[in-house]
Amino acid sequence: MSVGTVVRKDLADAGRSRALWAVTLVVVVSTAGIVGMVAATSDEGVTRVFQLAFQLAVLTLPIVALVLAKGAITLERESGSLRLLLSLPPSRRDVLVGKFLGRAGLMLAATLLGGAATGLVVVTMLGGDLATLVPFVGFLGLMGIAFVGVGVGISAASASDGRATAFAVAFYVILVVLWNLIQQGILAGASVLGLLEAGSEPAWVQFIGMFPPSRAAIAGYDAAVGGGHVFDPNLVTSVWFPALLLVAWTVVPVAAGFVRFRKADIG
Amino acid sequence: MTDSAIDTHELTKRFGDVAAVTELDLVVESGEIFGFLGPNGAGKSTTINLLLDFVSPTSGTASMLGLDVTADREELHRRIGVVPENYGLYDRLSGRRHVELAIDLKGATDDPEALLDRVGLSPDDRRRPAGEYSTGMSQRLALAMALVGAPDLLILDEPTSGLDPNGARELRNLILAENDRGATVFFSSHILDQVEAVADRIGIMKDGRLVAVDHLEKLRQKLDGGARVTLHVDRDPDRALDDLPNVRDVAVGDGTVRATCLTPGAKLTFIDVVREVTTVTDVRIEESSLEELFASYTVGDGGGSEFPSDPTVPQEVGG
Repeated sequence: MSVGTVVRKDLADAGRSRALWAVTLVVVVSTAGIVGMVAATSDEGVTRVFQLAFQLAVLTLPIVALVLAKGAITLERESGSLRLLLSLPPSRRDVLVGKFLGRAGLMLAATLLGGAATGLVVVTMLGGDLATLVPFVGFLGLMGIAFVGVGVGISAASASDGRATAFAVAFYVILVVLWNLIQQGILAGASVLGLLEAGSEPAWVQFIGMFPPSRAAIAGYDAAVGGGHVFDPNLVTSVWFPALLLVAWTVVPVAAGFVRFRKADIG
Repeated sequence: MTDSAIDTHELTKRFGDVAAVTELDLVVESGEIFGFLGPNGAGKSTTINLLLDFVSPTSGTASMLGLDVTADREELHRRIGVVPENYGLYDRLSGRRHVELAIDLKGATDDPEALLDRVGLSPDDRRRPAGEYSTGMSQRLALAMALVGAPDLLILDEPTSGLDPNGARELRNLILAENDRGATVFFSSHILDQVEAVADRIGIMKDGRLVAVDHLEKLRQKLDGGARVTLHVDRDPDRALDDLPNVRDVAVGDGTVRATCLTPGAKLTFIDVVREVTTVTDVRIEESSLEELFASYTVGDGGGSEFPSDPTVPQEVGG
């Protein structure tokens, strides 16, 4: 009961934030707009355009999700409204879960809106299959929620909003922007140590390639669109494994954040 | 026998090397109005933070209404009303929405309008987003939220801050009304007048320890200070007056004779004796104010008091 009320409160409060809607609008418009431009100016087929749109979205949506989530706890801590809330019956767990659900809901709404707008643009301009929209929106949705989980987890573990922002930026830079470089570094290191034969690609190498939430989302989308089996025993070409990885990216950071938040001094 | 409203046992909180609260044994009885006094940094806020489970104790235990402050916090927080220190409001939500939030979370059935009427937040103001509120309006709103669900125990941390004198008087009446309803009221303040006006008992914190706790009158009696008696005389007495029982600090000059009288009887004796040797034209008696009382407990008792963590300076005073 407490969790539901906290969610409603958070939706009412965050939902009135103009900055939030501005960010969402920019992302939706830019994603749909750029995809529309690609569709209008190139000869690419529907499938290819959707893939480009997806690769663009996995760069932009995480920013929206992290901006949305990283202040969930820290801003309430800094404003003191957390003290007011915790004076009332909800426990810290209720507050954290409520915050996560509220922010995840907002993120999902923004993703559905953006996904639907993008899909509509593509289908209107190129015709084609609306069914592609299901894995498109589905994996973007899962990824968005995973980044909300990461952001809320960071927020719960951070003593100040400045710190939460720094961690969120670091997370984005390392796992989204620099992952190619890091992946290559790991592979090079493994080769030098003799852990990896040249030219081979064992499962753990493939796993590193799809480890970040954005990569997992791409892997899942490609598998789904490429006609991969949902329960493919090969992890990398399966749909289920990236989906599971995204769920883990959602749950583990929130749980880890809770461990810190549970013991934190709300002074 | 009913449970004490607040009961702590050797409650201790250290932040690193700094002892904020040291072995606090505080008992607030059910039904009383308890004023919690102390200078900044004395450990008042940390004590309240411990009671509200905002920080966890280094050692010791605390319960309120017979419920453990950590293990039973959900049930406990349904039955208490709190205006915490340094709280913030949700800038984008209206005052009314705040009260509705507290009602929802407590599972109470109060009418938000009635509560907002009680704390004197005008109908126009309660529709505005709380981000536009002045400190005084915020305090009224926070108080309305604390009153939700007719709590058995009200915990008010510095409730008068930001209130004008009018608001402070309204708050006093509200505290008395809640107490009449049966609620225990525990409030901290550094504004002594507020405490003096409503508290049944007061506790004084210093350096993380409770240095005094008693009824106001008893604390006054314990004081060396007593009452300051000033007699205006038409000529200075020519006899020494410093051998009277329970009269001390006799000073003569500027057409007055002044002394501190420790007991009511000593005042009369002092006046009688002075009248024997000179003519008294006016009498002024100042009871020691809570301010002096407070100062006598919290300042100037020798060295060591500047170090809150110094464990070698016990400040126990029976209560």
